[in-house]
Amino acid sequence: MFEFITRHLLMAAVTGGAMGVTFMVILIEFDHYTSTAEFCTVCHSMALVAEPYYQSSHYNPASGVRADCGDCHVSEGVFAATWDHLIGAKDLYKQLFGSDYDDPVVNKLHLPDAAFAARNWFAKRNSATCHRCHTPEAIVGTRPATALIHQQETEGKSCIGCHYNLVHTPVPHEKLFNRDEWNRQVEQEFGLEPGSSAKILEQGQRL
Amino acid sequence: MLRLFLGLVIIFGSSTLIAATIDIAASEWGAKAGESCISCHTKASGSLVQQWQHSAHGREGVNCFDCHRAEAGDSDALEHEGEIIATIVSPQDCGRCHSKEVDEFKISSHATARLKLESYNQTPSAHQAIDQQGCASCHGSRITLSMTGLPKADSWPNNGIGRVNPDGSLGSCSACHNRHGFSKAQARDPAACSWCHSGGDSPDAEVYAASMHGTLFQSQRQQMNLNSNSWELGSDYHATPTCVTCHMGAAPGIKSSHDATMRSAWELGTPVSHKQSLVIFADGDRMEVNESESPRRGETLTKWDGTHGEVKAVATSKRRRQVMSKVCLECHGKEFTNAFMANFDSFVERYNRDYGQPAKAIIDQLYANGTLTPAPLDEPLEQSYWKLWHDYGITARHGAAMASPLHSWSEGLNRVQQQFDGSFTHELQQLVGNEQAEALLQQHAPMEIPPLGGWLSQPQPPTAAHSEAQ
Repeated sequence: MFEFITRHLLMAAVTGGAMGVTFMVILIEFDHYTSTAEFCTVCHSMALVAEPYYQSSHYNPASGVRADCGDCHVSEGVFAATWDHLIGAKDLYKQLFGSDYDDPVVNKLHLPDAAFAARNWFAKRNSATCHRCHTPEAIVGTRPATALIHQQETEGKSCIGCHYNLVHTPVPHEKLFNRDEWNRQVEQEFGLEPGSSAKILEQGQRL
Repeated sequence: MLRLFLGLVIIFGSSTLIAATIDIAASEWGAKAGESCISCHTKASGSLVQQWQHSAHGREGVNCFDCHRAEAGDSDALEHEGEIIATIVSPQDCGRCHSKEVDEFKISSHATARLKLESYNQTPSAHQAIDQQGCASCHGSRITLSMTGLPKADSWPNNGIGRVNPDGSLGSCSACHNRHGFSKAQARDPAACSWCHSGGDSPDAEVYAASMHGTLFQSQRQQMNLNSNSWELGSDYHATPTCVTCHMGAAPGIKSSHDATMRSAWELGTPVSHKQSLVIFADGDRMEVNESESPRRGETLTKWDGTHGEVKAVATSKRRRQVMSKVCLECHGKEFTNAFMANFDSFVERYNRDYGQPAKAIIDQLYANGTLTPAPLDEPLEQSYWKLWHDYGITARHGAAMASPLHSWSEGLNRVQQQFDGSFTHELQQLVGNEQAEALLQQHAPMEIPPLGGWLSQPQPPTAAHSEAQ
């Protein structure tokens, strides 16, 4: 009955299976490792973005439950996580061949675009990664209002709809964003010549 | 027919009355977007919502969004629950419905309180924490915004009356009309003004409370009809005047105005008082000037915000006094009123001549010849001088303006005199030596009149204890 299971086929199946398992383990380990702040901040540009994170309550929660980069920015599940990393590889491409994101000025000038992309990413997934740790029905807060609002006022809403500008450098809502005003504030913060931001953005670097 | 005519008069009459205070039709408020705020905010900030619910705004259906709405281009615009709003509701926002009041306020001395502070004091920004807790609380802050449009802690929270708002407008209606109830009664109560007009700079709360007017307010409060829609002295109330009554209230023949300083003939907050004229610019702005430096019609003057304006008219201190006096006439006779004002004027002039002017002349001379360093208040004589004209001198003059003998004399001129002949003279001697001090005093303060201490013509003999000590 099982004559067709030849020795070769058996060997191929075992080898294939082992390779498959190894591949999955590597994938899981890869997703895991590439989701850490340690990995992300290998690029200086990401270290800049992470600065406010180290001051935030997501890094320093009273409970000690620290959220790492990937806990929020990489989807649950090995396939989705791998996919997010594949898409995220474009950041690596840009880091290597794009603007000088390691320069704090260039970084901050581009920050709003990154913020809007991240917010949209959260919104599209109905803030799925927030729900890894946060359960709306279980949110208590320190005032009775906090629990009531999360139980009664959140229908049709997603976490990111209200809770943005929590962790990284605050950026206005996309609806209100004014590029000239943002540039002006960056120029003021870094003591740049008024109007020089547009050129920096165009050149991708400071001269 | 007559009835119909009268009916029409009443209908049109009352609608003009409403139109005079609220500019837009009721259909234009009660924004749809504002209806969804209540449910959350009842939970998150219940008392605030209840204040609003019990207010005229709440009753008439003016909701959160009507006042807090903003445009995407506004520098202080925030996204909140899908809507674009602003934290700060500026006079410009209030003026969408209350343009008459805002237009009157806009040209008042109150509105430029911050600009004036910054023009004669360069230091607020160097002493941010003190500015924020002190100066700016009354004068208003210059609002700064974070990258996301939220007011920053170096200028917020603030409801000072001369606040420089992100939209460029000046002032804060909530300085007097506390949010979120915006009650008329609250703003008409002298307590509303005492938030700033108390203490050394402007001791009006204390002065009023100690005056007969203030005493009456305490005992007759129930008769004051503070919640009435219209609040004209003589028809809607009569028991006593409050700050609002004399400085901005309606009385027979006088309209109410949110320009609270229009009726003040004297500047009482400087080392030496001067009568002040009100310059009215071609664009409607107004500015106080020293009457002796009154410009002519057509001249160009620099305003507090640094822009220039053409002088259209000048209201003299006499004209301003007439308006104020008209309020008095509602309860007092003409002779009574004129005599009171004459006594007030004499008192201020006497303060000027005997204390304000001599002290200022001596100080000015010491600055000019370098004896005093230009840094203010770092030397004992400067501190003594400050106490003389500011702490005691202002109290004395405000006491006289509002008939509180406690302040005009006991805590006022009495202390001015003690300060002048005591600490001020002593510090002057310490600084320049006895001989030079005597010469300066002779030059600027010749004693042609009996000294104020003369009422103690028979000094008490020293007590036994004193004798022993000696």
